[in-house]
Amino acid sequence: MSLTFFPKPFDLGADLRHWAIVMVVIVVVSFLTAIVTSILALGFAGPLQVLAHMIEGFKDLLGTSPRRCLALTQLTFREALRRKTLWVFAVFALLFLFAGWFMSDVTADSQLQVKNYVSFVLRTISWLILPVALLLACWGLPEDIKARSLHTVVTKPVRRHEIVIGRILGYSAIAGLVLAVMSVIGILWINRQLPDDMRSQLIARVPVYGDIRFVDNDGNDKDNQGNVLTAGINVGDEDMFRSFIEGNTKASAIWEFSKLEPKRFDDGGRLKFESSFQSFRTYKGNIERQLMCQYTLVNPAKKIRVQLKPFEVHEFRRNVYDVAEQNKTLEDVNHNNEPVDLSAVIEEGTLQVEVRCLSSAQFLGMARPDLFIRLPDHSFAVSYFKSIVNIGLMMVMVVVLGVMSGCFAKGPVATMLTAFVILVGLTAHDFMKTLVTGKVAYNPTITVQGTGVMDSLYRIPKHMTPGVELDDSFGVRMMKTFDNIELNGLWAIQHVIPDFASYDTSEYVANAFDVPWAAAMLPNLLATLGYCFPWIIVGYFSLRLRELEAK
Amino acid sequence: MSNEVVIQTRNLTKIYRDFWGRKKVRALNSLSLDVVKGEVFGLLGPNGSGKTTTLKLLLGLLFPTEGEVTILGKSASDVTKNERIGYLPEESYLYRFLNAEETLDFYGRLFNMPAHVRKERAKKLIERVGLTNARRRQLKEYSKGMTRRIGLAQALINEPDLILLDEPTSGLDPLGSRDMKDMIVKLKEEGKTVVMCSHLLADVQDVCDRIAILDGGELKVFGRVQDLLKDQGVTQIKTSQLSEGVIKEVEALLASRGAKLLEVDHPTTSLEDLFVKTVRDSAARPGQRYVPPAPGKV
Repeated sequence: MSLTFFPKPFDLGADLRHWAIVMVVIVVVSFLTAIVTSILALGFAGPLQVLAHMIEGFKDLLGTSPRRCLALTQLTFREALRRKTLWVFAVFALLFLFAGWFMSDVTADSQLQVKNYVSFVLRTISWLILPVALLLACWGLPEDIKARSLHTVVTKPVRRHEIVIGRILGYSAIAGLVLAVMSVIGILWINRQLPDDMRSQLIARVPVYGDIRFVDNDGNDKDNQGNVLTAGINVGDEDMFRSFIEGNTKASAIWEFSKLEPKRFDDGGRLKFESSFQSFRTYKGNIERQLMCQYTLVNPAKKIRVQLKPFEVHEFRRNVYDVAEQNKTLEDVNHNNEPVDLSAVIEEGTLQVEVRCLSSAQFLGMARPDLFIRLPDHSFAVSYFKSIVNIGLMMVMVVVLGVMSGCFAKGPVATMLTAFVILVGLTAHDFMKTLVTGKVAYNPTITVQGTGVMDSLYRIPKHMTPGVELDDSFGVRMMKTFDNIELNGLWAIQHVIPDFASYDTSEYVANAFDVPWAAAMLPNLLATLGYCFPWIIVGYFSLRLRELEAK
Repeated sequence: MSNEVVIQTRNLTKIYRDFWGRKKVRALNSLSLDVVKGEVFGLLGPNGSGKTTTLKLLLGLLFPTEGEVTILGKSASDVTKNERIGYLPEESYLYRFLNAEETLDFYGRLFNMPAHVRKERAKKLIERVGLTNARRRQLKEYSKGMTRRIGLAQALINEPDLILLDEPTSGLDPLGSRDMKDMIVKLKEEGKTVVMCSHLLADVQDVCDRIAILDGGELKVFGRVQDLLKDQGVTQIKTSQLSEGVIKEVEALLASRGAKLLEVDHPTTSLEDLFVKTVRDSAARPGQRYVPPAPGKV
């Protein structure tokens, strides 16, 4: 019942710098391409025309009229209604009428039942709203151009960017309205479907995560090269999300929590841990008994170590450990078991927690999100609607992308282009990132080898593993150069195509977590703005430079 | 009519190209003409002669391959010129899900007009084009003639100085056609400049001061309608009705002066005039109908 990914830390300054660099690269490349193309098409008069269009474009921006934008927004809204957008509610109603038949009483586990319902509602809403937004946005402008109704608009003092903005706002408004209605029906449906005894599971836990490192069986926290151990033992998983520590050895996993505010803890100071470790048994043992685990609170500066009372690890459950409830007093084992106060252990908001497995020859698996300090819960409804806001942000991106595509392509082409970008952004963004950086996207501590088309084409027929070094020949250098070019291209594509998967925050809500502002809401909001701004500019110039009557 | 030039084209050329940039057709070739303020100017020509292409180049819907266009002193690509222009497209490509009031309100907002001005102008224009009874009906329910009327109303919503009409009378019945021509004349009286392209020659002759005839994308004839149509070799005298004797005397007099009487006839009215008169009489006196003469009395 923990998250299956790292909630990525968000660094506003670094991400803004990164965005600015990408924008500058795109602007410079676009400008140079425009200059070269204009010279090829119009000779030396071409660059002057490019500059003239740019100046006219900026002058147009100054003439922007909110009244015109609003008029076009309202027109788009009405047009979308006329296109029978609201029929999507029929599909929605159909799904929700019959879903209860198949989903009720699937499991006696209330947490799992809640997870099923919440996931179903949020996934259904997002998978219905996105195609609606996609089709409306991709077909609206091309159809308007085809029917020539846009001619009566562009022959008025309407700036082309006002058309783009009006379209975007109109489609966003209608799709937003549909989303709002669906989300209200969705939360009412969840409440109605759940039996009374399960409704208490509708919560939004607020976790505080720490950074994780490992100590091996011999008590070393660094490897032979002096690097900090970021992983424990692999028990045979090809895709190692959790790494394991062996029981009754010196092996441990150490979480370091920082910026803690004890006054924000439950009941104004009760420290609660929650864990969801995975057990790996090397022998069956007493199957009725769970593996034993122990937390040790550490203050390295004051050399305080407080060993807490061990507990049984219940797999696939939320193991809540209330420090004050389980331990009458906290004793510092480094100072003759003298009692210490929790405030002495948590110094300047920093706390170190060592986790050990006490069951001999058994293993406990853990990843960063498997242990956290649990703050007082938030309202489920707030978390649910935060997730809806994220679906809304993704919907806006689909609308902007669709309208932009419609500015230069016909309906079917715009639809295919937008759908392709969405699918790649949903399914392949992490894969591209892994190829480009050479590090696994969900766990940057794991590196991958052997990226590059030419490299792979060379190695596969020769049955050569990626770890084998190639000779330093001319052919190999050429091959590597080609792979570098292609990976740089992939780097650019990875930045142009958004990571749509990050907008799916249903896992937070379904697993009874609050959708965090810092790790999900704010990054998604800024990413939406960061992508939509250049897309609107591209749409504007595409429409401005397009001959609407071209044959 | 002043000498202020409202539209100026110089060597205006438009070549349509295919996807690969190869020349497909030369729709307009080196067109140079001026339209002055306060006149009704007609662009004539057969289908595919370049009339509509010229209009679309003026409006910035197409970009010229060569040459220059100045319209109201501004470049065709300058969107601010549209503040003083009204445009009626060949088909009235309006939003069919809006009604007449909503249509005019929408286009009024595109001119950044305040609500009370939009309301007032929409009311006035709907009355002017005779759609008061249909002002709340969606445009998809309109007949062709009604669509042309609301199309004209939207072209006039900003009280433009220059009005561009593409085939304004096409698809209209004679009565609608007459109303449209009357409105064009009235616009001229209000000091507006009107440019219309049409292949209905009678309509152009009725309302235009000057015309340009295009064929194959080239300007073939350009000038004042009266000058172009005047036959300098023939003199026409209209008098009150003359008897046969007087006609013979006139013929003899002309012969003595070396001239020849070519034709003596009673002038006929046009079929359009007859149609309009009949329909208006019918409206004024409902129930009156044509009774065929009794057999043998034809």
